[in-house]
Amino acid sequence: MKIKINKKEYSAKENETVLDVCRREGIRIPTLCSHGKLKREAVCRMCLVETNKSDKLVTSCTTKVFEGLEVTTESEKIKKAREINLELLWSDHAGKCVKCKKNRQCELQTLAQEYKIENFHFVPRRGEMTSGEENELLRENWSRVVVDEKNPVIVRDSQYCVECRRCINICPISSYGFNHRAGDVVVGTPYNETLDCLFCGACVAHCPTGALVDQGDIQKVMADLDDINILSVAIVDPAILSSVENELENVSTLEDLTGFLRALGCEKIFDLSWGFQNYVGKVVEEIHPHHAKKGIKKMHLSNFCPSAEIYIEKYYPALTKNILKTKRPEELMSEAIKGEYATSEKIDPKKIRVILLSSCTSRKKLQGKNIDHITTVRELGRIVREKKMEKDEIKSSKVDKFLDGAGKQYENLYEYGQLSRVVSSQIKGKFSVGSANGVVEIGNALKAEFAKEKHYDFLEIMICPEGCENGGGQSIKIKE
Amino acid sequence: MEDIKIITKNWGKINPLKISDYIEVGGYSALKKFVAGMKPTEAIGEVKVSGLSGRGGAGFSTGDKMEMVAKSKKHKKYFICNLDELEPGTYKDRMIVDNDPHILLEGIIISALAIGAHKAYIYINGNYEKQFEILEYALRESRRKNLWGPGILGTKYDLDVELFSGAGAYICGEETALLNSIEGYRGEPRLRPPYPTAVGLFGAPTCVNNAETIANLPWIILNGGKKYAKIGATCSPGMKLYTLGGVVKNQGVVEAPTGITIRFLIDKLGGGMQDEKEFWFAQIGGASGHLVTEKELDTALTFSRDCPIPLGSGAIVVVDKTANIYELMLSWTEFFRHESCGKCVPCREGTFRLHEIISRLQDGEISERDREAMQDILWALENTSFCPLGKFAATAVRDAVEKLKILNI
Repeated sequence: MKIKINKKEYSAKENETVLDVCRREGIRIPTLCSHGKLKREAVCRMCLVETNKSDKLVTSCTTKVFEGLEVTTESEKIKKAREINLELLWSDHAGKCVKCKKNRQCELQTLAQEYKIENFHFVPRRGEMTSGEENELLRENWSRVVVDEKNPVIVRDSQYCVECRRCINICPISSYGFNHRAGDVVVGTPYNETLDCLFCGACVAHCPTGALVDQGDIQKVMADLDDINILSVAIVDPAILSSVENELENVSTLEDLTGFLRALGCEKIFDLSWGFQNYVGKVVEEIHPHHAKKGIKKMHLSNFCPSAEIYIEKYYPALTKNILKTKRPEELMSEAIKGEYATSEKIDPKKIRVILLSSCTSRKKLQGKNIDHITTVRELGRIVREKKMEKDEIKSSKVDKFLDGAGKQYENLYEYGQLSRVVSSQIKGKFSVGSANGVVEIGNALKAEFAKEKHYDFLEIMICPEGCENGGGQSIKIKE
Repeated sequence: MEDIKIITKNWGKINPLKISDYIEVGGYSALKKFVAGMKPTEAIGEVKVSGLSGRGGAGFSTGDKMEMVAKSKKHKKYFICNLDELEPGTYKDRMIVDNDPHILLEGIIISALAIGAHKAYIYINGNYEKQFEILEYALRESRRKNLWGPGILGTKYDLDVELFSGAGAYICGEETALLNSIEGYRGEPRLRPPYPTAVGLFGAPTCVNNAETIANLPWIILNGGKKYAKIGATCSPGMKLYTLGGVVKNQGVVEAPTGITIRFLIDKLGGGMQDEKEFWFAQIGGASGHLVTEKELDTALTFSRDCPIPLGSGAIVVVDKTANIYELMLSWTEFFRHESCGKCVPCREGTFRLHEIISRLQDGEISERDREAMQDILWALENTSFCPLGKFAATAVRDAVEKLKILNI
């Protein structure tokens, strides 16, 4: 069908919304609550547009297209609506941009700049209140703030929250919800308990502001990078290349990124090929004895995705013993860096700092003796912004050779389905493999296994949709 | 003035706790008439002819709503009686339960059977503990008489009626929020379309009607829709319960036809002003209602869209000149600042800031900045909020500013 947007004709499909058409055609409509395939809540009221069907403003994210529809996306009225609602959000926002971990990667900040929100006339000023009222206001404001820093992966601070509900909708196990009501609404866990989830990080990746950020101290990473007595070794997870461009302008290939990391102060940069290769070998070694014994039908679950491991432990505790025990590629590799590699290069392992650049937030739990820092794409972006690096100084370069792997490219196991393919190709005889992503698919696969409808000798499980490409440590575009 | 009473006809005359009393005065004869030989389509036809419209405030045609659900081919359907009466100054539904719970039950059973539902819910305000018990008792008694349950009165009709207590949130009176509440979710309005008549409770077509609307049903079934349509205003005929409050002599719930003027309500039904006080304004329809001044008193109140003063829930609060308007405004804004669900930005943040601003103008002075901010917030509430609650939050404050000319804006 044909619809008109800003007096220009566009073709649209049945069941598409106005926002869908505008996104496809590159017409800018700001949103804070709607993102990608997430449930359209229509709560931020940023995407309001005018149509020829009523004199009311309607939300473009939920208005379905129909023949003869005419839409206006910019007008005085629309601008006014967006400005007032943005300012209302700003008045309730912490507004500590400079210290905020999301500075310059914040959707609210971007919108405020776009709509030039500089008046704060909803917030009372000093002198307009008595000191008693002021104290009361402060007390009330603080009574509603919830900060959760106790879990190992995600930091939540409700001062920055714009109640967009993305985290509520994206969480695979529904960890979050609204607590209280009206102006007192706080997004949080039931009874405000410390977050205890799968730590897949999808909520952090989708948070438009700094309400949900990565746990971790980039200052320590930066200090190690700058320390000349320390050998900083970066391990690059190939999956981060799918979103690194959102944080580092014009960086899209591994060579670009390697160049960037060298400029940043990483002395050695390795990809994960060696780790992948050894990991697959160990996985096959672990499965094979069970498989070789006739009559035993044991289902092996991959341990590759730490979130999936937590999921099984929490929701299918009986299957915990079916999860592989093999160390993960990055664990194998960091161990080798501080072991074999340090010996062969004659470096004191104590002077080596391994930084894992990861597309995953739940891998933050692997931080320990061998892996010193685990940095998500978002954190890498912050490091670069804080260091104020210029793109001109950077030349692309190749990753370093690692032991016998010699920089040989190996299949990227972070790609969904790859691990089960590689494993099945290396095991002889009848061997059924499967892969499941997301809690729904995993649940279905396990249900089929329990009901003896379908047996998997090896099931690759990942929590993030389509695997690490959409991992919780990735960065999303702030302007869709 | 016709001296007809439909909803209040038994009030004070029968013992509300005795089903035999209700049956003695002709109660449940409408249900008997319906199950004995009336087709559901006929019954709905009568409701459509009667022109009965939703008494909760929106004024949607009851017959049309019932027909939409009845026509749906889905097997599972629900009927819900909305008794979540939280509009400040309104207690008509509570009075119905207090005085004649069986008229409500009869209406519920007829409506549910007419639309083809096998399950009906009564969603009752969480604060109505006494009324909950009355209904519980009435349900038990009527169940014993086989007025609901499997095989009603020996016919093929089956119906289960469940009493469901809300938790006292204003927004849960909004039908989609009410559905969420019964389903066990947070009481927040849903996006529409789809409307509850298509996708309602647990995804099934659902008809949600206000208790007062339902109480009209037995009379319509017995006496015919045509007769009902002759009562009151032609655009939205019927009887209405008005809750009179404020400085009128006779406060309380009265039954009167639609289409009467506000002056008639105050002077005749309310018995005029208390202690010869001077009338200033009246608020029509609870906290979400408009304010009317002296010159609008001759407006006829109807549910029609053309009516300049929406009748809403039928609550009328009369205010005299000795009242402190700033305190009143504070109470309105405090109500909405507390009762907004917090889902959308303008309502969550707007009602909060509006309450802040109003609390700053208690001395009758407003700064230029607050004045601008207030105008902006009112505009945003009216034009950009997710559900009508946001608009309601602005109504009274805007009227106070524009009609009463306080603050000289």
